[in-house]
Parts: sequence; C-alpha cells; structure tokens
Amino acid sequence: MRQESTYADSFESKKERIYDGLGVSRGIAIGPAYLYARDELHIDQHQIDDSEIDEEVSRFKRAVTRSLKELGKITAVAQEKLGSQSAGIFEAQSLMLKDETFLTSVEERIRNSHNNASFAIQSFISVSRSRMEASGSEYFQERANDLLDVQDRLIRNLHRGKLLSAIEPNSIVISSNLTAADIILFSRRNILGCATDFGGPTSHVSLMARGLGVPAVINIKKVTKNIETGDFVVLDGFNGRLIVNPSERTLTGYRRLQERYQELLENEKALVPLASETLDGECILLYSNLEFQEEVDLVGKYGAHGIGLFRTEFLFLMNGFHDYDEEAQYQTYKEIVSSISPKVTTFRLLDLGGDKMLPMSHREHNPFLGWRGIRILLDKPELLRPQLKALLRATVDGPLRILVPMVSHLKEIEQFKRILEEVKDEFRAKEIPFDEDVPIGIMVEVPAVAIMANRFAEEVDFFSIGTNDLTQYMLAVDRGNNMVADLYQELSPSMLSIIKLTVEAAERKGIPVSICGELASNPLATAVLIGLGVKELSASPTFLPEIKRVVRSVRRSEAELLAKEVLQIFDAEVRRKKLMKWIRNHAPDYYAFLCESEGSSAET
Amino acid sequence: MIVEQVQVRNQAGLHTRPASMIVREAARFSSDFFISKDGYEINGKSIIGVMTLAAEQGATLTLTFEGEDEVDAAKAIVKIFEEGFGEEL
Repeated sequence: MRQESTYADSFESKKERIYDGLGVSRGIAIGPAYLYARDELHIDQHQIDDSEIDEEVSRFKRAVTRSLKELGKITAVAQEKLGSQSAGIFEAQSLMLKDETFLTSVEERIRNSHNNASFAIQSFISVSRSRMEASGSEYFQERANDLLDVQDRLIRNLHRGKLLSAIEPNSIVISSNLTAADIILFSRRNILGCATDFGGPTSHVSLMARGLGVPAVINIKKVTKNIETGDFVVLDGFNGRLIVNPSERTLTGYRRLQERYQELLENEKALVPLASETLDGECILLYSNLEFQEEVDLVGKYGAHGIGLFRTEFLFLMNGFHDYDEEAQYQTYKEIVSSISPKVTTFRLLDLGGDKMLPMSHREHNPFLGWRGIRILLDKPELLRPQLKALLRATVDGPLRILVPMVSHLKEIEQFKRILEEVKDEFRAKEIPFDEDVPIGIMVEVPAVAIMANRFAEEVDFFSIGTNDLTQYMLAVDRGNNMVADLYQELSPSMLSIIKLTVEAAERKGIPVSICGELASNPLATAVLIGLGVKELSASPTFLPEIKRVVRSVRRSEAELLAKEVLQIFDAEVRRKKLMKWIRNHAPDYYAFLCESEGSSAET
Repeated sequence: MIVEQVQVRNQAGLHTRPASMIVREAARFSSDFFISKDGYEINGKSIIGVMTLAAEQGATLTLTFEGEDEVDAAKAIVKIFEEGFGEEL
C-alpha cells in the first residue's frame, strides 16, 4: 500500500491524460508502461570492443540466414497464390541479402570501424537509399522501400531472442501493433496488459489476449507517440481506455474495480465444477473457441464441454504454409483430439480471405464478398485434401467434427462432400482406419444459408452460427468502419429472427446447432439466446464461467418471454436497458459488477 | 578488359526484376563486372548496387568486364540488355 501511494504522489503534479480505443480483453491493469517498438525498430549506434567483434559478425550472419529463411517461405506462398510476378519482389529481396558487396561492407564496418551490426547495416542501406531517392524517378524512389524492408527484417532478426528479455516484467506493453506470437511471448514475462495503435476486435491479438486473460485495448490511435516507457498508466479493458498519469481519484476508482473483478473471477472459479443447467434443469452445452494448441488446457480449466470451434488458420501460419503438410497437421490434430477426448473437438477447415491472411499483395476491392473460406478451398484442392486427410486420420484418436467455413451455396457443400468421399475411398482402398461417420457441419454466417437453413440442414450433421460475419452480412455493416460501427447490432430484431429461424430448422431436422460468434460470450445475450432455443454456445474459454452464471439463473419459460419481448425492440439503447434490468433481477451480484465497470469510465 | 556501352531499352528501366536478371547472369562468370552511369560506378554483381543506378529507359551505361571469361561474360550481359530483359520496349 505504501508503495502505491508513493506512485500516486509522485505523479500528482502531472496531468491526467485519457486515450480511447477499443477494449478487446477485459480486466484492469495498473502499472508502468513499457514501449515495445515492433514496427519502428530503434537502431542504436555504439562502438564494440575487440573481444566482441567475432560474436557481432556471427550475429549478423545468423540474422541473414534467418531472414533468408523467412523470405523463402514468403516467396513460396506468394508464388503459389499469386504467381511469379508478385513473388519476384521477395526473390529480389533474397538476392539483396546475398549481395556480396553489402555483406562484405557490413562485416568490414564491424571489424574495422567497430560498428555494432545494426548500425553497420543501416549505414550501408541508407547510402543506397539516398542514391535511389535522389534519382528523381518516382519508381526508384519507391523501390528504396524494398531496401528498407530488407533492413527492417535483418534488424528484427538481429534482435530476436533479445527483445523478450528487454521487456520489463509486470509492465503494460504499449506498441503500434502486436502479433499473436508477441502476446504469447509477453505472457511468459507476466505482462499486466497491452495496448496498441491498430488492430481489430476479431484479430488474433484480441483473441489471444482474451484467451490468456491479459487486459487489452487496441486501436488507440497514436498511443505510442504519446507515451514513454516508465509512464504510470491505468489500462481499462472493459471500456477500452488508457489513462496516463491517473489522478488520485481515478486511481481509487480503478483499484476498486480491479478488486471487484478479481472477486468475480474467484467466484467464477467456484462455478467451473458446477453443471451448466438452467433453473428448470435443462442442460446448455458450453464449448470453447480455440486456435492454438497451447490453449487446449483451458478447456478443462474453465469447464468446457469440448471445443466448439478450433480455428486452424493459425496452425498454418505458425508452422509455415509449406512445411505444414498432411503429416505435420495430423500430428497436431491427433495431439489435440487425444488430449481432450472423450470431449469433442470441432476443427474448422482453413478459413482464409476476408480480413485473414491472404498474402499482402492479393488485394480485392471487397474481400468480405470475395475469395474466402470454402471458395478458396474448392479452388485449391492442394490445401483442402491434405487437411481432410489429416483430420480423417485423427478421427481414430478421439471424437472429432469437421466444420466448413463460409458456405453460401448448396453446390459448395455438394462439391465438398464429393471430395470428402474421394478421400474416404482412397483411405478404404489403402485400408487406413478412420471414423466413417465423422460429423460434417457448416458455418452459418451468410444470410442466404440461414434463410434456407431447412434445406441446408438436410445436407449436414450440424450447424455453427458465426454471428460476427452474419451480423456484418445481415445488416450490411463493416464493424471496423467507425462511421457505421453503431449500426453493428448483434441483437437487432433481424439478427434474432434469423438466429431463431436457423435454430428451429436445425431442431426440426434433429441436428445440433451452436452459436460461436462473439454474441455467445456476451452474458447480456445468454438468456435471449436460450429463449430462442439455443442449447449450445461456444466462446473463448475465459468467458464460460460468466455465461454459466447466467445460464444457472434462467428458467426456460422466462427466457422465451424475454426473447419474445427483445425481438420487438428496435432501439439499441432500450434493448440494452431491458437486458441490464433482466440481469439485475436474475443475477444481482453480477449486475453490481457490470454497473461498477461502467461507472468507472463515467467518472473519468 | 572489355568495355561496352549499352542503352536501357525497356520501358520500365532497370527495376527490380531486370536488376535480378543482370546480377544472376553476372554471377555465372568469374570475371569482375562493373557498371557506370554518369561517372558513378557500381559492382554489377551487387543487386543493391545495380538498383542504386536508378537507370530509366534511354539511360546509357558503360559495362566493364575483366577476367578469364570476360569475353563470354560481356557477350551474355550485352545480350540481355539488347533484348530489353524480355520486357516491353
């Protein structure tokens, strides 16, 4: 306590500054900021001793090797997806890394002028760049950026392994952007929270931060420009705020909220072993959304019934598209399936496109209406077939379901099933064991599918409603666009109606249906969803206890009534009040927490 | 030593792809190879060097070859310049 008050006193003279962003992982972090320069690599200049020369040269060489390896992978992906024209740029960058003149010059600078490697690299590159920039040709001025890319890549690799140890433990990491890999790395250093200039709510960083329970706020424009390492800050993951030099009053409010949230989490631990049942004894199945193998332990920790959605994109990204062949995939799937068996794992097939991981130079005017999900997989059997084979092989290791992303036409399912049948035939011929009845499901995220859910339900074994995309497509709103973000309403009557339609169609055909979008993790929505007939929810594991708390305070008849009422409310604010009131009446202690987290932001 | 004068014939100039072609071709020979433009000389086996020439269409370059296989090297490099790197002229 003593130390805390000293903190506050010493910052009393400084003015409180508030930056707004988007809260993507809940919780409050209070502590010193640490500025993590990921994109703008800081290049320091220092002299090295004679004794350090050999090590510095080999560090440089290792960085070159690593950079070449990275570029090799990027070139291969670009080649495959976009053809040799685009891949040429990366090939040229590889040639630059093999440029003898460059390599010799850097080594000479290290040996003769005792420059550190980063500085030696920068010296050479900056001379070359300035020549190109001075050429008066727009084209060559732009190509100077290729050199800059090469330099950044090298310097990043030069520091690899060093960055981690540079991060102060128990600090709040501030960066212009973070990768999911960064977050994993940081979580090992016990970081308190993280804030970034950019990023989206469904980006992998956000998912990762939620999974690890690290408070995170993204999209705080220019936060990195306004903050310094060591600044004392409060990070509010509930309301998406970063407060620099908080006043005594602000700090007191946030400490209270932090304690309150801690209590809530403690209470939730007690909920983990309890059944996910409504007051009238109906079981609501709660599943986890995951995307990293490292997260699998969370399924047990948070008491999930299984994995409702395992996104496989990241497995490919982490392992490299080219190296992640059937055998490598099989190893991962097998390990995941057997570690949570007898609980079920639902693997979603590689879901590229939209905003996800197509090579940077593949640009579409309208990616969300373009080449994505199953559309890509059907065009690229070299991606689809190995994944199907690996998944089929893993069916003998435990219960496994296959989920097909971004279906919009019946024909796509027919084509997909034909390919699946061919793969099965091949297995039968080779006598490779697999589960003949492996369930095949589709993502319901396009209104065209939801409206015809009756027909689609005849073709598949289960549905998974992806509310994030469904909301975007249904309401014609890009949630990342600030101009229209307020129109993105997952609980609008149109959304509730289409969810109801889908759930009822599935019910009639006797196939299970789950909700796997963000809506599933919103405790305000839980009762309404149950009222619409939803019996399965899949969310990031850390949300499950909270959802369970609401489930355990619901009676079906009441939930149905609530759903009926909310279906008539077109005003988002009125709807919200209605749902808050419902929580107040049914889960009062949770309501107190919800109010507290909102009150804190009102005060500041 | 062999000295040749060449012109950049393709529309786009000595951009990344032609620069890679020159460097790759030059690497097949053991002779030293230099390119100069307006008094600025670079090593023709260095892609970064070639790109810093910022040579646009119509630019005149002086190529210098020196070594055992200088004749073959000069022939090969001059040829790809004349063909405009297989690009639009």
